[in-house]
Amino acid sequence: MIKIDNLNFGYSKHKLLFKNMSMQLSNGHIYGLLGKNGAGKSTLLKNLAGLVYAQSGTLDVMGFNPAKRQPQLLEQICFIPEELYLPSVKIDAYLKANAPFYKNFNHEYFDSLIKEFDIPAGNKLINMSYGQKKKFIIAFGLATEAKLIIMDEPTNGLDIPSKAQFRKIMASALTEDKCIIISTHQVRDLDNLIDTVIMLDDNDVALKASVQEITEKLTFKKIKEVDESIIYAEPSLSGFNAVMPNYHNEESRLDMELLFNAILAEKTKFKPLFN
Amino acid sequence: MNNTFNINRFGLLLKRQWLDFGKIYLVSLLVIMGIIIGFYAWNAPSPLRFNNYDNDGNLDMRFRYGLFLMLGFLFISIVASSYFASLGQKARAILELMNPASSFEKFLAGVFYTAIFSLATYLILFYLVDLSFVKYINSNLSEFKFDEARISAVKPAESIAAQLFDDAHYRTYLLYFISVPFLVTSVFLLGSIYFNRFHYIKTAISVMLFIGAASYIIYKSASFFTRNMVNVNHNVSEHKEDLAFLLIFLITTALTLIFWAIAYIRLKEKEV
Repeated sequence: MIKIDNLNFGYSKHKLLFKNMSMQLSNGHIYGLLGKNGAGKSTLLKNLAGLVYAQSGTLDVMGFNPAKRQPQLLEQICFIPEELYLPSVKIDAYLKANAPFYKNFNHEYFDSLIKEFDIPAGNKLINMSYGQKKKFIIAFGLATEAKLIIMDEPTNGLDIPSKAQFRKIMASALTEDKCIIISTHQVRDLDNLIDTVIMLDDNDVALKASVQEITEKLTFKKIKEVDESIIYAEPSLSGFNAVMPNYHNEESRLDMELLFNAILAEKTKFKPLFN
Repeated sequence: MNNTFNINRFGLLLKRQWLDFGKIYLVSLLVIMGIIIGFYAWNAPSPLRFNNYDNDGNLDMRFRYGLFLMLGFLFISIVASSYFASLGQKARAILELMNPASSFEKFLAGVFYTAIFSLATYLILFYLVDLSFVKYINSNLSEFKFDEARISAVKPAESIAAQLFDDAHYRTYLLYFISVPFLVTSVFLLGSIYFNRFHYIKTAISVMLFIGAASYIIYKSASFFTRNMVNVNHNVSEHKEDLAFLLIFLITTALTLIFWAIAYIRLKEKEV
């Protein structure tokens, strides 16, 4: 669905944010995009949506160049930005003006999402809280039945029940023909939701692997003492939380936060495992 | 699916843009109407007032020409300057750019609202207010006092549109200036895409600097090329004036198209 080939991008010509980045993303997956502040998570999403232009390299999204902003591609992209703006109208008026642009817009699905998110239908969008606006735009985006769903920090501003609802809705929104990319800082919000982790660091993709592949190759454990087999460990109340190679095919639960810190601290040790 | 222009999609886009732009636009039309009515109420001839006549003995309605031009300039330039202003705000720009319509359709919608719709509504509004006042004045014509030594009878007032269109001379010269309002809107529409903040002021300053620099260069180069020379062409053409008007028409039209083309390219290349 998405092919990125030797992408070079920077907000200034002298300082590149991505250097020769290459990656392929396919449909039927929920990708979790992780990275430090300034690593380029939002910028990568904007490149995919055609909101910024790469300096060189090629980007192919469903056979289109997103930089051309062609309506045929735009109606297949649902982009949920971190910063939201909604006009001073009610839900009905917004739907009337925007839904006809999406020929697959599913009104029944939209109504069910609005009900599930408990969004007050009579209020003007501009007067809603940030969380309500976010839930509304997520509901609208999902109802467009777009094939590529891009979400930049979607759980920011959502309360605890809404985060659980969000995870449930996103899990049910994934179909074989859809690709969902979610960027976040709050890795725990994506627990059990994403099936592939993409981690950005040092102008490139530091890790791209499915949760299954990660747990096959690594094991996440609580240990008392650190020994040589440990790739990375963090002190905890009862000892250490550690990442180590999964030599004995042990089953463990992916600790995304631990993995994130481990990759940042010991990138060279992980590279041979995932290449 | 045509990815450049589709008439149904364009119609949807006009409807969508009206949702955001319409309310502010209607409010600004009300403000403009209030200003026009205020000016007419204050300056239009009245039986209660002395000095109701101009030098030719007609009811003095000369204030309306300046009002029409100044207010018209301000109105169409402000509307054009605010049309793409939302692209200066990240959140709004994302919403606009991700809307499934082509850049060309978005640009055309901008031209429609700023050059055609705003100009048409301003002309209609001004015409209606002017006509109402003219009708009112003419219905009370008998109550106007006048100096019999100067004027034999009070002549009815004419609406501004009737004055322009009934006179063949005015009509001809009006056509030469037909592109001027479009030039104004094209410059301010470009400014609304080009600048992220303070669109109107920045565009106005840029236009002033450009006109100043162009005038200086033209004056200096004309002085340089004609220094120590005399005009030897004694058969002065009778149509020099017409040529000048034709040039005004051609230059304003060409500049309008150029500014629109640049605005379209800027919109296409807009990044967030």
